[in-house]
Amino acid sequence: MKRSLHPLTMWIWALLLITAVVLTDRAWVALGAIGVATVLVKARSDGSPWGRSYWIALRIGAVILVIRAVVGVLIGVPIPGRILFTVPIIDLPSWMPGIRLGGAVTLERLSSSLHEGLIIATVIALFGAATSLTSPHKVLRTLPFFIYEIGITLVIATSLFPQLAQSARRIRLAQQLRGHEKVSWRGLALPLLEESLSRSLQLAASMDSRGFGVSRKRSRYRPEKWQISDSAVVALTLLVSSALVLA
Amino acid sequence: MIKFSNVSLIYPHSTKTIIEDLTFSIQEGEMVLVMGETGSGKSSLLRLINGLVPHHTGGILAGDISVDGISTREVKPGSLAHIVGIVGQNPLNGFVADIVEEELAFGMEALNFPHDVMRKRVEEVLDLLGLNGVRHRSIATLSGGEQQRVAIGAALVMHPKVLVLDEPTSALDPIAAEEVLSLLHRLVHDLSVTVVIAEHRLERVIQFVDRIIYIEGNGETAIGPAEEVLRTAQLVPPIIRLARALNLSEVGTSVREVRRLTEDIRAQTFEATEQIAASSDVVIEVDELTISYGNHRALKGVSTKICAGEIVAVMGRNGAGKSSLLQAIVGSQLATKGSVRVHQKDPALLKGAERRRSIGYVPQEPSDLLYAQSVRAECAQADRDNEIAEGSTFAFLSRLVPHISEETHPNDLSEGQRLALVLSIVLSGNPELLVLDEPTRGLDYQAKNLFALALKEYASTFNRPVILATHDVELVAELAHRVLFLAEGDIVADGSTLDVLLSSPAFAPQVAKVMSPKPWLTVSDVVQALEQQP
Repeated sequence: MKRSLHPLTMWIWALLLITAVVLTDRAWVALGAIGVATVLVKARSDGSPWGRSYWIALRIGAVILVIRAVVGVLIGVPIPGRILFTVPIIDLPSWMPGIRLGGAVTLERLSSSLHEGLIIATVIALFGAATSLTSPHKVLRTLPFFIYEIGITLVIATSLFPQLAQSARRIRLAQQLRGHEKVSWRGLALPLLEESLSRSLQLAASMDSRGFGVSRKRSRYRPEKWQISDSAVVALTLLVSSALVLA
Repeated sequence: MIKFSNVSLIYPHSTKTIIEDLTFSIQEGEMVLVMGETGSGKSSLLRLINGLVPHHTGGILAGDISVDGISTREVKPGSLAHIVGIVGQNPLNGFVADIVEEELAFGMEALNFPHDVMRKRVEEVLDLLGLNGVRHRSIATLSGGEQQRVAIGAALVMHPKVLVLDEPTSALDPIAAEEVLSLLHRLVHDLSVTVVIAEHRLERVIQFVDRIIYIEGNGETAIGPAEEVLRTAQLVPPIIRLARALNLSEVGTSVREVRRLTEDIRAQTFEATEQIAASSDVVIEVDELTISYGNHRALKGVSTKICAGEIVAVMGRNGAGKSSLLQAIVGSQLATKGSVRVHQKDPALLKGAERRRSIGYVPQEPSDLLYAQSVRAECAQADRDNEIAEGSTFAFLSRLVPHISEETHPNDLSEGQRLALVLSIVLSGNPELLVLDEPTRGLDYQAKNLFALALKEYASTFNRPVILATHDVELVAELAHRVLFLAEGDIVADGSTLDVLLSSPAFAPQVAKVMSPKPWLTVSDVVQALEQQP
């Protein structure tokens, strides 16, 4: 077993990096952060279902990047510069002044859209990395009792996500094997909804019957201790991020 | 320890009472089996014990239930956590933590146990259940048997006086099931824990239990010692059916007892019955098939041929590669190396109507295929898909399970009815081959018989192959002509059902254990052999 850090450490790490990325607003910082996160996730993944959330976050980020680029090119205020190609302008009614659909696409407009997309994608990827590196369940366990009640609701909600993705894949496959090539939304959503409902009911029943919420106080089996290595990671990240922001 | 006095239960918006005027008491250190048809209220009965019903599910409860002197009416399930440990049907859905150790400690943390007590109890339970090797592992990566033991362990750390288990072995292979059951047996005898267990596969548990609560379909309930209840019950394991068929004076629940009663039968000599030769018309050809997921090789160069009209059971431990083989045959999993051919075609390339005509597939969760709002709509969709006369799918379904209402929502069907619905839909395409992944989980004996008959009929009338992955040795003995036994991605045994099942004691069906060394697997085998005797 790998030596484990305090559950909050990786979240602080991710939040610091996100702050740095947003504040510096530079593409190379964003790319660097993604690179570091990828290496860390690869090195420290322990095969738990949460481990895959980073890769899912990366994919979501990529989709957002593409959408942002397309929207940025088609809609919005023109930025003057080198014209790459021209899309025909669609006339809009006069009560929508200042908005233009289509028109000349300049290099500047494309790159600024891509840049914005990249920053958003990085933020999502870093959250994904934090989830991958420490399961949210562990983080919730460090919370004090009065937030714990809310926390446990979140545990139920979030623990469904990785399983949901798995079930969705399974159901789609089954229906394709029934010869329905295009699985309709209804065909996927109904069995999925039914399954996740019954799952959360079962989880809640299990927690209920194991005495959850009976005692006002909770003891800890393995108290999470803040160690020197945690401080080191946080200090180092803080140093790097502030250097990046101030530079 | 547990006392039910005049308990009746009805769920709101339901016309049927689940339990009516039930009175019984269970002593400390007793092991009690709850049996009944699917959907007869076994789970409700179990959940009444710690108050999950009606505190958690709703429902109207009359009468009184007390556990260790505490009435479930007055306290919530959480306040009984240190007295009643409950293990649900699918342990994976009830896990709260991701790591084994943390899962075990969860209940004690919630009740604010001191740290040193927790450490001691977790160690105890890890040793008792043999889980020490996996204590730091993520629960999701454990095998089914290990997960089941973690779930039992999580209940045991609280030192409960009562342990309640809902079908603890339904997802397990025979060996893992044996492990779990002998563990329960030890808890009852060494620690005097009271165990209440619901199970469909009576052949697995019957030898361990002291008493049976039998919930009959009509709301009646019978309670008594195992032999007494089983003498008249409708749902009985093969060992009891054997005793009935042979008109034995007594009913025995263990192999040992019935062996003593049948000594004279085994002493006779019988002519060997001829085995029917299989056809040589090859339908499926699996050649050097290898499937890998990342670094894990699920199948390692497996080759086999499956012929027309054959019913082939694929058996093996959880994770032995059964599902991978099935998925490769239906074409949902691409081969890493090697090939699969169905009628000389690659099954992965089949689409739409051609797929429905070629391969019928019933997945592990039959409800994955269903999404319409009623049985009628589901059947109509199948009729349209396969361009057959309106109503034919429903007609077929009614033949499988009579008295099914067209308006019922598929979710409200019992497990057996739902499987029948899915089977009718799949068979409405008249596929040239039928593949089923663990079809009989949660089915009672009657539903299983119906299902076995339908499959036999399909295989023999159309002379088409059926492949099913299953843990259920009794089903295999009744149904299959041939068994493929997988271990760690290799085929370790491939032969007639008789040869494969008799060669390993763990996988031998009850009748074979009783009649060993005679080559009989089922009650009908024995009866047939005796009839042919002059």
